[in-house]
Amino acid sequence: MTAAGQSLPEQAFAGLQLPLSYWSADLRLLAFNPAFSACFDCFKGGIPLGITRAKFIDEVERAGLLVQVEAAPSDDGQTDVQPKLYFSDGSVYQLQSWQGPDGNWTALCVDITAAHRNERALRKAKDAATAADQSKSRFLRAANHDLRQPLAALKILIYSCIAAQTDDDRQQSLHAMEVSVAIMEDLLGALLNIGQLDAGKIRPSIQTFQISTVLDRLKVQFDYQAREKGLKFHIVPSTEAVTSDRILLERIISNFVSNAIRYTDVGRVVVGCRRVGGHLRIHVIDTGPGIPEEFHQEIFEEFFRISKHQDKRRHSLGLGLNISQRLANILGHPITLKSMVDRGSNFAIEVPLGNIWHSTIGEPEINEQIGGEFAGLACLLIEDDPHVRAALSSLLQRWGISVDTLANLNDIPASVAALERQPDIIVTDYRLNRELLGTEIVNEVNEILEKPCPALVITADTAPQLIESIRNQGYPVLIKPVGPPGLRVMMHNLLFEPEAIAELQ
Amino acid sequence: MVPLTGTSASDGREFRNGLILAVEEINERGGIVGRPVEPVFQDTGSQSAEAVVRAARTLITTHGVSAIINGYNIGPQNSEYEPIADAGIIYIHHNTLLQHHDTVASDPERYFGCFMADPAEYWYGQGFIKFLSWLRDSGRWRPRNRKIAIISGPKPYSIVIANAMNACAKQFGWSTDPAPIILRNLQPDWQNILTRVREADPAVLAFTHFHAGDLAKFHLEFMKNPLPVLLYLQYGALHKSFSNIVGTRARGTIVGTVIGLLRDDLGRSFAQKYRQRFGQSSTPEVGCQPYVALHHYAIAAGVAGAVGNPGDFGTNRRIARALLDIPYRSVAGTIRFHPKWQAAIPYPDATNDPSMGLPHLFYQLRDPEDAPALIAPEPFSDSQFELPPWLGAAISEGLK
Repeated sequence: MTAAGQSLPEQAFAGLQLPLSYWSADLRLLAFNPAFSACFDCFKGGIPLGITRAKFIDEVERAGLLVQVEAAPSDDGQTDVQPKLYFSDGSVYQLQSWQGPDGNWTALCVDITAAHRNERALRKAKDAATAADQSKSRFLRAANHDLRQPLAALKILIYSCIAAQTDDDRQQSLHAMEVSVAIMEDLLGALLNIGQLDAGKIRPSIQTFQISTVLDRLKVQFDYQAREKGLKFHIVPSTEAVTSDRILLERIISNFVSNAIRYTDVGRVVVGCRRVGGHLRIHVIDTGPGIPEEFHQEIFEEFFRISKHQDKRRHSLGLGLNISQRLANILGHPITLKSMVDRGSNFAIEVPLGNIWHSTIGEPEINEQIGGEFAGLACLLIEDDPHVRAALSSLLQRWGISVDTLANLNDIPASVAALERQPDIIVTDYRLNRELLGTEIVNEVNEILEKPCPALVITADTAPQLIESIRNQGYPVLIKPVGPPGLRVMMHNLLFEPEAIAELQ
Repeated sequence: MVPLTGTSASDGREFRNGLILAVEEINERGGIVGRPVEPVFQDTGSQSAEAVVRAARTLITTHGVSAIINGYNIGPQNSEYEPIADAGIIYIHHNTLLQHHDTVASDPERYFGCFMADPAEYWYGQGFIKFLSWLRDSGRWRPRNRKIAIISGPKPYSIVIANAMNACAKQFGWSTDPAPIILRNLQPDWQNILTRVREADPAVLAFTHFHAGDLAKFHLEFMKNPLPVLLYLQYGALHKSFSNIVGTRARGTIVGTVIGLLRDDLGRSFAQKYRQRFGQSSTPEVGCQPYVALHHYAIAAGVAGAVGNPGDFGTNRRIARALLDIPYRSVAGTIRFHPKWQAAIPYPDATNDPSMGLPHLFYQLRDPEDAPALIAPEPFSDSQFELPPWLGAAISEGLK
């Protein structure tokens, strides 16, 4: 067909970019445009006119062009007039049909691929939101009960505290209030963890580190608690490197330890590690009541309790092991449990061993604060100009030095007594508050200190006689403004190479 | 800015050689963006702040240099950065100082052109503790106990290394006993100090001073009545001058360096070329530092499309950007500048990828005529650790 021989409607029909077809009342193909034939380009010798719609779809499906026709029943229960066509290239079309007064059908294929994708993404997001919402409701319902308990207790305790007749009674109520608050704190913390887990917000940061860093922190965290309960708490040192998320792993093991201490009344809690193939198994072993075998799976479920009465007494929320299990799943570390009633429990987690060369020391950034020659030293800075003092303090702190100052220059003994620690070096301005001399203050400070410390003087006064006289008193001098390299060299020599100071002056 | 006189003159000569060789190679292929490279050397002698700052000023104002490329100068405490930052030129050195991180971080805009092409000395400390732990955990060496004795020289470099060893020892299952000893000068009563160390009975003794002559004096004193320890010395013990003095008694001592010449094809052919050019007794292991740095600079300037004279901040910033962006696999391993520190990242101390960091190498000294055994880290090592003779003797003594 050529455009020249066509009427205007025919030209429009042929030129339309959308696939358009024309069907008889009994659904036989009467006409179609080039876009339609391009869309269904799978018939040898072109699409035959007169083909039925059922046969047409069957042919197209058989040729592998069409993957699926999704036809939802229309409102009147008749055949869907707007089915969705899923093509093998991933595109999705909707067939829109209108019946004319003559009973024939005009059908248009509309590309809805993009809209379809958006719809799917929206549905997925909605499903996730619904699931999160359900899980949140579940937790809030369960938590509600646990949170009410300490709250109710707190209410009563507040009244008894107000009504307390003696100091002892008041102290007792306050202590009980402290316990209630701690329980609520634990619960809220656990809910926060569960919330993050539900929201899929926990992304592990995997690195290689020494397991000793985690064990050391557990010692600090639980030593006091165990001793207060009269339990022996022992951590067997380990020199192994592991590959995991340091913070999440610590949270898992500390849940084990916290449970072990909570449920063990007499005996001990031991944390120890054992190499198993390419893994390190970290055990938390207690001499507690043990867990009946039928509960070995269930104890890892949310809010699980073996005995309600027992657990209430121990303020357990039944969330710790669930959190541990879910974190371990994220990390891919298997948790195992060996336990028998009256024989104690042995919780263990298996972590891949790491290459010791790759072990990070847990410092995100290497700088002089961590590793400089002055790191860990203390400086007494005596400077009355607040701007100079702030600038010098920040410079010294950047080098890892803790900076202290004298609170009152007119009362040196009290100011020295108030210092947080014995300084290793003194840096002083020469003229202070217009009336005092830095050198004299240093002399006074050094007379009080157990161990006199070296000092250097900074001054804006460049008179050679003055500088000479300060040096003659045994103090090296730096002229303001003091540059970092100059200060660094002078401090180094005062602290480590005092013999070399003469050369610098 | 090279120490051609004074205590570091032997290193200074090698730095000069390394730069000359790189200049010759670059000029042979047409220079940097068509301009021939002309080296200018200033003697920094004592390496004091004054001497090094003076050298920097002379190079900039009298010679109008586009870049200053060095080995190391130990004394200026970064004070030479000031005239260089004022002129806005590129400065690549091998001072091996953590101070560099601090100075650059204090004003990255001002110090955009200052680069340290080897890792900070801090890494010696952390890397050494990992090395010891690797020997222990892999069963290559069974320490008698977990105690390390550390002796530091009086320079910031030594103190930082000692501090770093001390700080991370515990994490890796070691304790430092006695507490690190910081020497106030380098003529101490060694026997007195060694007696103190012997009383603490450590399994490891590390001396973190770097100068070959001082290390040799210490080693001779140590060997008069060796302690039953694994002995570690800083890189200065790799120098010929050290082995000339200590001779066969050095066998078994561990030495580390955060920049050294690799023993692969690249490293070997460089060493051969270097010795042909500067003589069989020359030291390509030291000369490689400025050699590598100048080649890296040439690549960066090529990418930037120009070399910048003093005051040409725009061009030099482009060159600095290219130095940061383009890691360079050199004869010493890969120089990859950390974007914040503007210092080479060490492997395996700060990256797990041997192709993206400068290898921190551990050697064990053999006989003076043999090359030291490169025993770690993989994949660069070519030899196995052996028990030092004095430790072997101590064990058989114990068995008797």
